[in-house]
Amino acid sequence: MLSPYTVLDLTDEKGELASMVLGDLGADVIKVEPLEGSTSRRIGPFVDHLLNGEQATEASLHYYAFNRNKRGITLDLESEAGRQTLLKLAETADFVIESAPPGRMAKLGLGFDSLKAVNSRMVYVAITAFGQDGPYAEMAASDLTLAALGGPMSLQGVPERAPVRLSVPQAWLHASSEAVVGALTAHALMIRTGEAQFVDVSAQTAMVWTMLHGMSAHQIQGYDFNRGGSDVQLGTMTLPIVYDCADGHVVLITSGAVLTKMVHWWVEEGIVPADWIDAEDWPTYERRLLYLEPMNKDLDQVVDAARRYVANKTKQELLDLGLREGVTLAPVSTLEDLARFKHLEDRRYWVNAPLPGGSQTTAPGLLVKLSETPMSVRQWPPRLGQHNQEILGGSLGLSKSEITTATGD
Amino acid sequence: MPAQLPFEGLKVADFSWVGVGPKTAKYLADHGATVVRVESETRVDILRTIGPYKDAEPGPNRSQFFGDWNTSKLGLTLNLKTPEAIDVAKRLIAWADVYVESFTPGTMDELGIGYEAAKALNPSIIMVSTCLMGQYGPASPFAGYGFHASAMAGFHQITGWADLAPDGPWVAYTDTVSPHFLAATTMAAMDHCRRTGQGQHIDASQLEMSLHFLAPQIMDFNLSGRQVSRDGNRHESAAPQGAYPCLGDDQWCAITVETDVQWRGLCQVMGEPGWSGDSGFQSVAGRWQRHDEIDERIAAWTSGKTANEVMAELQAVGVPAGVVQRSSDLAEDPQLKHRGFFRNLDHQEMGNVPYAGDQFKIKGYDNGPRFAAPCLGQHNEMVLKELLGMTDEEVVELVIAGAIT
Repeated sequence: MLSPYTVLDLTDEKGELASMVLGDLGADVIKVEPLEGSTSRRIGPFVDHLLNGEQATEASLHYYAFNRNKRGITLDLESEAGRQTLLKLAETADFVIESAPPGRMAKLGLGFDSLKAVNSRMVYVAITAFGQDGPYAEMAASDLTLAALGGPMSLQGVPERAPVRLSVPQAWLHASSEAVVGALTAHALMIRTGEAQFVDVSAQTAMVWTMLHGMSAHQIQGYDFNRGGSDVQLGTMTLPIVYDCADGHVVLITSGAVLTKMVHWWVEEGIVPADWIDAEDWPTYERRLLYLEPMNKDLDQVVDAARRYVANKTKQELLDLGLREGVTLAPVSTLEDLARFKHLEDRRYWVNAPLPGGSQTTAPGLLVKLSETPMSVRQWPPRLGQHNQEILGGSLGLSKSEITTATGD
Repeated sequence: MPAQLPFEGLKVADFSWVGVGPKTAKYLADHGATVVRVESETRVDILRTIGPYKDAEPGPNRSQFFGDWNTSKLGLTLNLKTPEAIDVAKRLIAWADVYVESFTPGTMDELGIGYEAAKALNPSIIMVSTCLMGQYGPASPFAGYGFHASAMAGFHQITGWADLAPDGPWVAYTDTVSPHFLAATTMAAMDHCRRTGQGQHIDASQLEMSLHFLAPQIMDFNLSGRQVSRDGNRHESAAPQGAYPCLGDDQWCAITVETDVQWRGLCQVMGEPGWSGDSGFQSVAGRWQRHDEIDERIAAWTSGKTANEVMAELQAVGVPAGVVQRSSDLAEDPQLKHRGFFRNLDHQEMGNVPYAGDQFKIKGYDNGPRFAAPCLGQHNEMVLKELLGMTDEEVVELVIAGAIT
């Protein structure tokens, strides 16, 4: 869909997903890395057998996960030759995305104003922890501190211990994927105004939105939500949603739709007496609970019955049963469960990703299915400097010696 | 404000509900599109029943969960169980450039307003269908919320403490991931349509989109068999790392030490205590080995200070540190204030209330929600008459038929 457009990707791990999404959507993405490679090439997990050899720069699965559908060049942006080459590439770029600290690109003479001077129709996207300016702009940040300052951590974890983040870093992925929304919104504005646009993405605010209804709770209702482990606070009720099952855990919500069928299963297994079936108008149970109406079977009794019902069944049994009967029972998947989930296979979701060094793995596939212009993986992540000759010699017309000067090849 | 908004003139029929669809359409609405949010009193959007409610008083028009997800939209109620409402839906689809829905797969076809029908009404329509599992496949009827997709995607497994059952992320996590991707894809389809006149049906599975946030770990598992799991706040690439208790009730400051330089910064701020000179503590790997011991020492130091003091002292020496903020803290956060993140808008029933703003700022354009979210059916007459050109008589007939409830 975006095949007419060129993207210059100057990001590291803080923004690489952004340009990958544009690439998946069809844009021609040129990844510009420093001579030693993007810092994301040093982030694990790694292809172990490459880590200590000559191909160490190609060992990162983190790099590999977020850099498909890009071609790659190396440029020393601190050098005049590198800077000039980048300005030349910027002349025809529709999008430039960078994730340097505020002011760093301007200092190199490659900020928005410099690039706008050579291309008045570009969209320039800057991804940072807190935004380009303001009291936090210069602060150091990590995935954990962004989860803290953005707020979601205050809602995660059991009350007896410290608040927790997700154990796999998420903040920069939220910022990066949001940057694409910003880029395409600004592009629509550029089409109308004919003027270059600057988009300032803040990872902190991206994390604020992961609080969902928690983000403005205090301003609206007068009190904060608090972390409650796996219990979920919905309106006026607190619901346990994670239940122990035979081989792990399953998530279920004791909603009307689920209870209407489950109550029958409980009776069949002798978990509750038969009079439970008519004890409540089960389809409306959750709604009546939310409106604090008096109940014949209170939530604790219902939750206890659900606990006993799932305790001796496996995740797979519960998933199959739920799918068959139209009841939403969601296993807490491990990566192994996920790899075995037949639905994803039937949708041909996974893609086989050839890895440097000759091995291969399976990777998440295309974001969505499109009826008219199917997406595809056209290019696996570039080896460091893989397309220096093709891009700088080819489309840019640089001589061999000029390429050497700019790229250090 | 610029002379034109990015999506001014764009028309969107938003038949979706709960999180992902409404947020996707909200991006278009906030940036200028005319978005008609279709709801029904007979099956109220669950977000309207969750809150937070203005002044903690429940009511379908008092929930800011619904509010934040539906700013800058017009509210129309349609009871799609009546044939008259289906006729209105068809007129809305013929009017729209983008048509968003999030029902269980097959529902729109059954109602006679699936993609083929929509295309017949409007050949260049962009139809966005989003649900947990996608439009086809054995699990496509799986109807649930982001909690369920989050569990199935693996996010619950990786959130919490290694020795306890999974806590899971705060509520419906995939609802926070999917809209980024779905909005981007929808905007790309709009640009494609602008250039070529070609519409599109987008089949968006919230599970599939969200798995990209675990991509390196999935690729690692499929290559090496290693499984990532929950480990509190720890990661072997950064030690120490954690949330440390501070002065006050349940106050915490998150600290990450990724480099040896940062470690020396932390030691300096703590006043170079004797224990910190231990030769085993001078590398990430060494600190990782004795993480519990270091955590106790740091906690003893942080416990005597406020979370803001700990953050300020550590930031002064370049150590990533951040207060664990609640919604009350966010309301006062100086950086969010600087960005004008929360902005107050007048809501018909709730009065002047704060709405969350954009995650990005476009220079020279004060982007953010344009007007408050609609009450149920707030714009029925306006949408039916002004946008769809219906007469007074036609609207009365819809009322009599019970179609606009």
